[in-house]
Amino acid sequence: MSSDGAGATGGIVVTGVHRAFGDVVAVDDISLVARPGEVTALIGPNGAGKTTLLLMLATLLVPDRGTITIDGFSPVDEPREVRRRIGWMPDGFGTWDALTVREVLHTIGAAYDLPAAEARARTDEVLEQVHLADLADRRARVLSRGQKQRLGMARALLHRPTTLLLDEPASGLDPRSRIELRDLVRGLAAAGTTVLVSSHILTELQEMADRAVIVSRGRTVETQAVDGAAPVSRTWRISALDRARLVAFLADEGLPWRDAGTAVDVELAGDTDAAELLVRLGGSGARVTAYAPLHGEMEAAYLAATEDRQ
Amino acid sequence: MNLRRLWTVARLELVQRRRTSRWPIVLGAWFVVIALVTFASWRAVRGESFASGPSLYDVTTFFVLMLGMLVVPSLTATTVNGDREHGVLATLQTTLVTSWELVLGKLLASWVVSMVFLATALPFLAWAWVAGGLSVGRILLSLLVLVVVLAVVAAVGLMFSTLTARPVASAVLTYLTLAALVFGSLIGFLLTAVLLTDTVTVRVNGVPESYWASEIEPPVTSEPGAEGFVLQPTQADCEEFTRTEQASRTDRIWPLLAVNPFVVVADAAPSRLAETGTFTGGFTPMRWISDGSRDAKAGPGEGGVRDECSFLPEAGSPVGDSATTDAAFEAREKAQDAADRARRDANPVWPWGLAFLGALGLTSVVVAERRVRTPVRRLPSGTRIA
Repeated sequence: MSSDGAGATGGIVVTGVHRAFGDVVAVDDISLVARPGEVTALIGPNGAGKTTLLLMLATLLVPDRGTITIDGFSPVDEPREVRRRIGWMPDGFGTWDALTVREVLHTIGAAYDLPAAEARARTDEVLEQVHLADLADRRARVLSRGQKQRLGMARALLHRPTTLLLDEPASGLDPRSRIELRDLVRGLAAAGTTVLVSSHILTELQEMADRAVIVSRGRTVETQAVDGAAPVSRTWRISALDRARLVAFLADEGLPWRDAGTAVDVELAGDTDAAELLVRLGGSGARVTAYAPLHGEMEAAYLAATEDRQ
Repeated sequence: MNLRRLWTVARLELVQRRRTSRWPIVLGAWFVVIALVTFASWRAVRGESFASGPSLYDVTTFFVLMLGMLVVPSLTATTVNGDREHGVLATLQTTLVTSWELVLGKLLASWVVSMVFLATALPFLAWAWVAGGLSVGRILLSLLVLVVVLAVVAAVGLMFSTLTARPVASAVLTYLTLAALVFGSLIGFLLTAVLLTDTVTVRVNGVPESYWASEIEPPVTSEPGAEGFVLQPTQADCEEFTRTEQASRTDRIWPLLAVNPFVVVADAAPSRLAETGTFTGGFTPMRWISDGSRDAKAGPGEGGVRDECSFLPEAGSPVGDSATTDAAFEAREKAQDAADRARRDANPVWPWGLAFLGALGLTSVVVAERRVRTPVRRLPSGTRIA
């Protein structure tokens, strides 16, 4: 399979996956593609089936229906091949509390068949990457939640996986660590790693992800690129010194607007529309002081996709 | 199967145990308790006219077995579901560690710990050996059986920890299983021994009923002798005949005894009544258990012709000659002992018991492996994956 290159079979391909626990359907029908070299965000409300999907990708759970391949290998039929390739960082990362950070990573290295010397070298490398080097000889018990998250990241990276599965990687991280995480993930993607991130923090995914897969109630609702190529309808908030003139201009344009205190909100179909409107606004004499989307693109798409939720 | 990964799992388990528990205190307490028990039994039996080694050895070995059965389940019965609760089992399951390596690694770790406990008890077993009356082969054999039994206990605990979601539940189930093997089997044996009686036919060499029937009417014509009309059959009156009796068919229910770990350890290498040399009497529970279970296995029917004749006076000897009677009695006792020994030697119980425990241990390991195998298809209610 490797002969036809990573483009054809590389990355994560999920097709029509269904999984129920007894009567509870956790994942109803999810399909997605995550390509090598890209960061794919998996977003959706609580209970949408994100964690269950990641468990199936991480070779822990068999789907009832549908197929999954990771770099061309099925987690059900060839779990060992998949395990070699994936780095999984679960949500609510538990760790061997009695071990030091370094020992945790050495153990993981041995579990991945890394020779002892290489495991030690790799441990130092990944500890540097996640900025835990100064805590290397502390017991895992004393780490804060954010530090434990970073240890989880180090653990997922240790065996140089081609595919990263990150479940809520940013929870508990301080702002600096979030930025570092973002840079780390972007760097890995640039080096060709397939990254699938599930998160609730949309603004952050916005900066990190190339593509978003929105799931709700166990189904794929929408897949979209986050590069602005596909038009995303969202609300823009406009403030102007001369509010009356602004409102009059919008009425002339035939755009419905909502009152938002001193500003007004306008629904626009995409970035192109927004740019063109701004040009015309400049000539209207309303003297615009602020012109910005109310939500990030991803947030807007997410809100639109999950609108039907109670 | 890869030994390095297996050892990684075992070492991980051992390091965590060493750091999270107060092992020095536990081991110290274990040492002191065994020391006290051994010393107490030495005080109880010393100074008598027989070697005290077997008593010391029996008490110490049984005590080690008992404490081992209490300690080992606490090591394994919480290992898999405890890891699941802490969310660290999946951490290994998503690596190259296979389900077999995971299960056997954890088993190896608990077995190593039970070996440490056993090693702590070794000085006292050595003391028993120094006290005399024991062969090295016997000590080695019973230690070997003890090691296997503790490994089986560990495997059972491991299985329950994969079957239940909560560590408390698996610990309770493991202790209940051990209680069923130790006490349940004994109670079951005693109850069925009472209930399951049967009419058996035994061959007897002795004074037949007909002898007493013919002599029931004393001849009225003759003068009473000096001793009165005391009937005194002699060996000349003996003949072989069959007699039917009610007897408990322990030969059908002996497996109930064989499954008991204490019986297995006791029967593997008990101190036999020495045929010659020192008399190793005293408090020897292992020998009693061994003899009892082997007799149970032999059952009531076996044992050839029962001798009820040789203690009778020989024909023509003077009535009431106690010297000949005592000699005959002693000879009969000796023959009886020899027959008992032969029968017990022919009916060992421990190979069956050890085979049963071995099968139980293997089944437990196989079940445990199936339960940690990933990816899972069916997830039992209440259990977590990660």
